[in-house]
Amino acid sequence: MTTTLNRPSASAHSAPKRALIERLNIFTALALGVISAVVVWRLALQFLPQDSEEAIFFNREDKITLLSMIAWFIGFMVGIGALIGPFRWVMGKDLSHDENMFYAGKDLGVKRYFRYTTDHKVVGIQYLVVTVVIFFIGGVLAMLIRTNLGNPEGGWIHPQAYNAIVGTHGIVMIVATIIMVTGPFGNFIMPIMIGARDMAFPRLNALSLWLIVAAAAPILWGLAIGGISTGWTAYNPLASQAPLGQNGYIMFICIFAISTMVAGANITTTVIRMRAKGMTWNRTPIFIYGVVASVALALPAFPVFFLSQIMSAMDRAIGTSFYDAQHGGSGWLYENLFWLMGHPEVYVILIPAVAALMEMAPVFTRNPLFSFNLAVIGIAGISGLSALVWAHHMYMSGWAPLLNIPFMLTTELISIPTGMLFLVLIGTLWRGRLWVTMPMASVFALLWNFMIGGVTGIYLSDIPADAFLHGSMYVTAHFHYTLMGAGLTGAIAALVFWFPKMTGRIFDAKLSWISFWMVQIGFQIAFIGMFLVGLAGQPRRVEGYAETFNTGNMVTTGGAYLIMAGMLVLLYALIHSWMNGEKASMNPWHSKTLEWTVANPIPLENFDVLPTVTTDAYGYGKEIR
Amino acid sequence: MFKRLVGAIATIAAGSLFIAGVGIYVASAKNDDRVLKARADGTMVTSKGTLPHFTLEMQVYPDSMFGGKGPDGGAHPDWVAYGDATNFEVPANSAITITVTNYDGGESLNNDFFGKIRGTIDGTATLNGKTITSVPADAVGHTFTVHGMANGQDELFFSVPMRAVPEEAMPDEGYTKTPNVTVFTVITGDAGEYIWNCEYPCGDGTIAKFGHAMSTMGYMSGHFNVVKA
Repeated sequence: MTTTLNRPSASAHSAPKRALIERLNIFTALALGVISAVVVWRLALQFLPQDSEEAIFFNREDKITLLSMIAWFIGFMVGIGALIGPFRWVMGKDLSHDENMFYAGKDLGVKRYFRYTTDHKVVGIQYLVVTVVIFFIGGVLAMLIRTNLGNPEGGWIHPQAYNAIVGTHGIVMIVATIIMVTGPFGNFIMPIMIGARDMAFPRLNALSLWLIVAAAAPILWGLAIGGISTGWTAYNPLASQAPLGQNGYIMFICIFAISTMVAGANITTTVIRMRAKGMTWNRTPIFIYGVVASVALALPAFPVFFLSQIMSAMDRAIGTSFYDAQHGGSGWLYENLFWLMGHPEVYVILIPAVAALMEMAPVFTRNPLFSFNLAVIGIAGISGLSALVWAHHMYMSGWAPLLNIPFMLTTELISIPTGMLFLVLIGTLWRGRLWVTMPMASVFALLWNFMIGGVTGIYLSDIPADAFLHGSMYVTAHFHYTLMGAGLTGAIAALVFWFPKMTGRIFDAKLSWISFWMVQIGFQIAFIGMFLVGLAGQPRRVEGYAETFNTGNMVTTGGAYLIMAGMLVLLYALIHSWMNGEKASMNPWHSKTLEWTVANPIPLENFDVLPTVTTDAYGYGKEIR
Repeated sequence: MFKRLVGAIATIAAGSLFIAGVGIYVASAKNDDRVLKARADGTMVTSKGTLPHFTLEMQVYPDSMFGGKGPDGGAHPDWVAYGDATNFEVPANSAITITVTNYDGGESLNNDFFGKIRGTIDGTATLNGKTITSVPADAVGHTFTVHGMANGQDELFFSVPMRAVPEEAMPDEGYTKTPNVTVFTVITGDAGEYIWNCEYPCGDGTIAKFGHAMSTMGYMSGHFNVVKA
């Protein structure tokens, strides 16, 4: 990408005054959160009236639990300093320039990573760490599930604990995959890639990150009080009747939904309003399209999810009956609300990961991105159609059978724009001079995994086939092929690709290769085995199974252990490379997007002079490598 | 390279140990690992010939403040529970006479199916000494139901309802002095591992009263293992 300089940088800033904002950090947040929760819990125990004799469920305990979790949330956000800006604005004493610089983490060193810091690069790194931690928790739970399923009769883990582990694994991994690309790379890389000094709303940026941290406590808390016994979908009225741990799910989703909405508004505004001069839509990198499509899908989807959980909380805690058919509600209401979020969410996860790989493919093939317009149309087509397919999850639920065929049609139509993205990737690879790095190999892995995930998905979109396959391990294998085989593969490639820019060091190449092959081989073993037992009829979310499924499950468990080992190698490589890795040059991949034009370490405001863009980012010839 | 390799292997080992630790902790959270074994009591003439005879005695309490869970009721003192143990071991190919003393009240079954006695010798039991074949669905306190497992072992299914203690006979404190005693005999096949549970919705506020005590081993469900004699 060709750039010219067009205006001077901001002036130097003086040292900040000492103030309350200097004293707030993650530790004050944890302390205030815990204190708030305990105080409200004690008060609620003291003053909330007992349930009447006729109460069907433990409404009082639900009220107490929810109130305590809300208190935790508010206490944590106050403790981290999220409300200082709005409070000062309301009081007519908005933050001074020095205070804003302090918020941005200027001259704070490592401490800025433990604070409510507004610099998008710090937020990106915080997102990366949070994502890794969430994946670690979800991965541990996955291994418990697979270990228990190594034996037909289960029995290692108590069935109730198994249900809680499956539900928590599901929702934790969904959240991790939603944020795995747009969180770290959408925050760190995206603003620099479009030539901006920061996000449009830096405080909202920090808010979206710390909301996710605040949301972690309720779900872990919920594990200790009965867990999520409903699976990650938390269907009602089952969820209304579930143990107290279900309140953790409700709070987790509500807080996470706010985070997603805030991040969506911020990213969309940033891209629309803050692209560098000359960066027309035709010159905007494809990764930006992926990130914007992802958050644009999330913007209408997550308020619906939020609403579904508010109603679930009300059914549990104050005896409303939104989802209780006995009193005029409907379980189908929940199913619709859930899947109005649930299916676009699949593409919220997938699109940025695929777009990241589309960004890398030209770099490592030294070819222009094949048919940029087709890529944009593909992303737009998937985004548009994904809002019209939700009820294919409800073919067998009995809701509106006449709509099954239209939903089958829209679902199968979505394979057309998906195919366009395949064409773009294959066209980019065609006759390229491949620089076979781990991110490059990930493009091939994505094509393979996404092909299997996509083709098996077509069978699930077909009503007669779905009648047999729904609720089976086949479904589980299908969505792991798409979300993990395609999505997570793209995210890990993005980590290795942008690691030099984010940390100033090269990601250990040998270890990344070792991890890649362990994970990809383990993945095929694990999930092809799961497809086979699913086709044979093994139901999902069940602790034990008939002996006839034993061999397939043993294979899957073996594959899962290989994935685990590969992921731990990746974790080690991440830490090792960050601490001791080879120092990176400014542009080790010879890429043409703007983020590679800034020095390592990146200055606080990214560019001394904002760039002007005069060409697209994919003008690669074949003469260099 | 050697240092990196050692580091990677050490990370795999540490991660595996961590996962194993979490798994062991979760697995150890099972309730009630005590096993009550049937006692030999001569032989019994049955339709399958003369079989070794064994007896097993258990109780149902409105709370868990008894026996193995201790005077404080363990983790969930308010939960209804079978006792003194909830894991049972009986010999294979034998007649097992089970005596259940029910100290708890009740309301109504969701499914009348479980009001009828099934799978016992002659499909009968005795309730306070009188022979019965069923208990009215609105007078059942609990059931003792063993389900066959579809994994190759002999099928074993029996379900016996326990009559509820009338509300007026339930004291405010302590246990009723007039519990209902149900006695029935079943014949076991070859060795196998089975799960028993109560089919009366007594789990209180969760999952349509099938949660809590109903879905936690050690209260209203447990193991019923048939072992080689």
